[in-house]
Amino acid sequence: MKISAITVFQIDLPLTEPYYLSGGRLKFELLDSTFVRIDTDEGLSGWGEACPWGHTYLPAHGPGVRAGIETLAPVLIGADPLALDALNRLMDVTLPGHPYVKSAIDMACWDILGQQAGLPLWKLFGGDEASAVAVNSSISTGTAEEMISLIQKASSKGYRTHSAKIGGTDIAQDIERIEAISAALPSDEYVTFDVNRAWLPATAIQVLNSVSARDWVEQPCQTLGECAHVASRVSQPIMLDECMHDFSDHLQAWKIAACEGVKVKPNRLGGLTKAKQIRDFGVSVGWQMHIEDLGGSALADTAAIHLAASTPDANRLASWLCHYHLSVDPVPGQGARNMDGFATPPSTPGLGVIPDEALLGASIATYC
Amino acid sequence: MTIKALTLYEIQLTSHQPYHMSDGKTADSLPSLILKIDTDDGLTGWGELCPLPHYLASYPSGVLPALENMAPVLIGADPVGPEALMSKLNMHLLGHVYVKSIIDIALWDITAKAANLPLYRLLGGLQQEEMPLYHSITCVAPEEMAAIAKESYKSGIRQFQVKLGADQNWEADVARMRLVREAVGQGPLVYGDWNNGSTTLDAIRTARMISDMDVMLEQPCPTIEECATVKNSTGLPMKLDEAAYDMASLMQGYQAGCMDAVAIKLSKFGGISACRQARDFCAYIGSKMCIEDTWGSDVTTTAALHLGATTRARNLLNVCDLSGYVSPRLDEAGPTRKDGKIKIPHKPGIGITPNPDILGQPIASF
Repeated sequence: MKISAITVFQIDLPLTEPYYLSGGRLKFELLDSTFVRIDTDEGLSGWGEACPWGHTYLPAHGPGVRAGIETLAPVLIGADPLALDALNRLMDVTLPGHPYVKSAIDMACWDILGQQAGLPLWKLFGGDEASAVAVNSSISTGTAEEMISLIQKASSKGYRTHSAKIGGTDIAQDIERIEAISAALPSDEYVTFDVNRAWLPATAIQVLNSVSARDWVEQPCQTLGECAHVASRVSQPIMLDECMHDFSDHLQAWKIAACEGVKVKPNRLGGLTKAKQIRDFGVSVGWQMHIEDLGGSALADTAAIHLAASTPDANRLASWLCHYHLSVDPVPGQGARNMDGFATPPSTPGLGVIPDEALLGASIATYC
Repeated sequence: MTIKALTLYEIQLTSHQPYHMSDGKTADSLPSLILKIDTDDGLTGWGELCPLPHYLASYPSGVLPALENMAPVLIGADPVGPEALMSKLNMHLLGHVYVKSIIDIALWDITAKAANLPLYRLLGGLQQEEMPLYHSITCVAPEEMAAIAKESYKSGIRQFQVKLGADQNWEADVARMRLVREAVGQGPLVYGDWNNGSTTLDAIRTARMISDMDVMLEQPCPTIEECATVKNSTGLPMKLDEAAYDMASLMQGYQAGCMDAVAIKLSKFGGISACRQARDFCAYIGSKMCIEDTWGSDVTTTAALHLGATTRARNLLNVCDLSGYVSPRLDEAGPTRKDGKIKIPHKPGIGITPNPDILGQPIASF
């Protein structure tokens, strides 16, 4: 089988409410998503999506996705979409770095592989059943009261795990928020305090050693080295996210005992192929993982839920669904959706999500 | 002073000689991007970026969308004292350091012109006017490489980078190192560069066969850990390039003890500001530096020379006259090699004024 055409769509995904990252330093109102349809000479087509979280969160941005695809397209046309490892090597040689470009291509090729095999992706990723994956809320930063009220609102929609964005320059406020949120949580609900790199190591140690809460703490500081230093000095389990870009970073994190878990996001890592390699490594070293994408519609969310559902329960924490924050749905009603706090991947062949092209608008480029 | 306009040009640079690296990577004809930054009081700064294909996370088509993204931050901003504006850009668009390099170079050009001083005066002052060049020998048959080395020796070059691995034949790599070493005699620096195309096994086999000689190894494998393994198995000094690209990786290379030398390249780190920080760190830990860029013509070549000229001689391994490897020249008056060395120009700024006929029409302006 050969790739015969790559068609690219750009779609703006407005957020229903402005989203503030930790410390209130970053505000997001609109995501710039790129959809890719890959056609093959045998008539199968696959869909992929790459949707960076703005341009200030990770080294990625929407127009960069499209510029990168344009550069990759000439070598992809004629390549075998089923040979995913070879395809990834080809992309890495042609365009070093820029993982956020490659995830859309990789996703569409997994979709084709699944359809060709007549199997859902969760099965190709090693799962034995379409497990219902717990979904987690994302709680925008604010005062303790504001955040508790957002958590209660999320609880009423079935969410049992919450990712609360904290971290600022006011140490007392962070201590207060952590204690108040942790104390307000019912016994069957969980919270991860996501600092999004806002603390310097000393701040992290001061705050975390001042609170009695023992919930997960995510990405306390900027670099892997800083996070490792904090991990060795505090009692809370540490989850890493933004400082992890490739397999080497995960090896390094394990070697220096920097964390007990990681977030596995295909767009940050370069696609499902690389995310699966890291998921498998995480399982083998006993990490617990949140498996979800960086952003995007239910297309990108569903791809990540396939990977999450195929992950052993013991290693799987909840997954966040970006599409619940959007005011548009280019894949109406399809894919993994929140049902009482759980999302289940489709069991149809491939990804199991087919975008409505009428909702995507005119394609912006076709390479063939 | 504020930035009024950004204008981007693209020129095609053709190598005088075909240049082969490991795994069939070549650089015969490449696009180079030239950025002009105009200010409201008439000063103009120039930047340049020429990505080598298949080499670093940098590609020509990635420049325009990233520049477009950063243009609103740049237009109207004060260009003098580039670090302040660069830290704003670093918050605005994460990563994409190669695009930041072209901007940062132009900002330093303006800053130095505003001070009416040659750029080296703002980067710590002149340590030496004349700097040693190295010759990078394309990976072809061992005898041919030895002949190139001999010719180059006659022209005054005393440092030879021997490209290895293009034919995936480690025994041929051994011959390349031996023949070049013999061709140039004792004394000159000879180092073998795999451009991370080898495995630890092949690199160790090669290195053990040449460990009786006075040679250095460069970036045999992709990761710092692998490079450290190769060094520790052979005892030969090691230079890092591809794996050393920011402060964290420099610190890791230092910690792993495999960074006797390191390549500080403008577009790999994100421009003069980032390279200056890296330079100061490497000087402190005693790592010898090759200060250059990946590829390009007069603007980026000369910008790197300014950083080289302000680096103490004991820490400076060499610099590169990239603009002498390719044509056309952006500025016929740009620095050129003489007796294996190159001199820094003394005009205000970087000291390069690109020829408008060679730049042609801009591909974008903001």
